[in-house]
Amino acid sequence: MEEKQLIEKAQNGDKKALAELVKNYEQTIYNFAFKICRDKNYAEQIMQETFYSMVKSLHQFDYNSKLSTWLYRIVANHCLMMARKVRSRPFVSFDDDEENLFEEKYAADWNTIPYKVAENEELKNILDNAIQNLSPDYRLVFLLRDVEGLSTEETAQVTELSIPAVKSRLHRARAFLRKEINQAFT
Amino acid sequence: MKKEKITCKEVMKHVCESLGENLNDDKCVEIRNHLDSCPNCREYFKSVEITIECYRKYNVQMPEEAHDRLMKMLGLED
Ligand SMILES: [Zn+2]
Repeated sequence: MEEKQLIEKAQNGDKKALAELVKNYEQTIYNFAFKICRDKNYAEQIMQETFYSMVKSLHQFDYNSKLSTWLYRIVANHCLMMARKVRSRPFVSFDDDEENLFEEKYAADWNTIPYKVAENEELKNILDNAIQNLSPDYRLVFLLRDVEGLSTEETAQVTELSIPAVKSRLHRARAFLRKEINQAFT
Repeated sequence: MKKEKITCKEVMKHVCESLGENLNDDKCVEIRNHLDSCPNCREYFKSVEITIECYRKYNVQMPEEAHDRLMKMLGLED
């Protein structure tokens, strides 16, 4: 069944259609929540909150955006709320040291960075640590645009930022993460 | 007036801003020319791409029980 039909049925109270929609997006939402908070328990909690919100407000969904974009917006909000609640470490501030982001030293030989992320726990730890030094607003932009593959416009829609603001956060996040990995392999 | 040559730092910044965007405007042509002749910046460009690739490939599988708990919570279990 087409997604549009599923949505219409779900909006009219069809539980089967609603369950189908949830199933279609649960893995994406769980994975995304994990990528923001880097914790499986929090990821599950955020996923539950996201679908609870979706069920409650699906009748308001008006096809002005894709359902996926609409869901990213909900999950992003829940991620930010969670981050505020459990904030555990200081985040990097870009005001003073943006220049340092573009250091020209190449300590790590990038070609040796194991490409098989799935099997390498050390690399996973490095990736978790690096991204957790970014404030959640920056994480969101990087993950939506670069990892989930949303367009710059869609990312702006989800985060309610202007396009220049998305671009500015994106390039800082990219440069920062690259630098962290570079240093970790030094 | 002679145009200042673009610096590596500018290139790096631009690489970070424009990855995945339209690479055909004037500035980007300049950037690409620079990349062709500067191994340092090419290395940088590649390392940013690898960074993104790493985060793309690092995924987690939702546990079966998490699905069951979700459906139960929503009152949608079969
Ligand atoms: Zn250069």
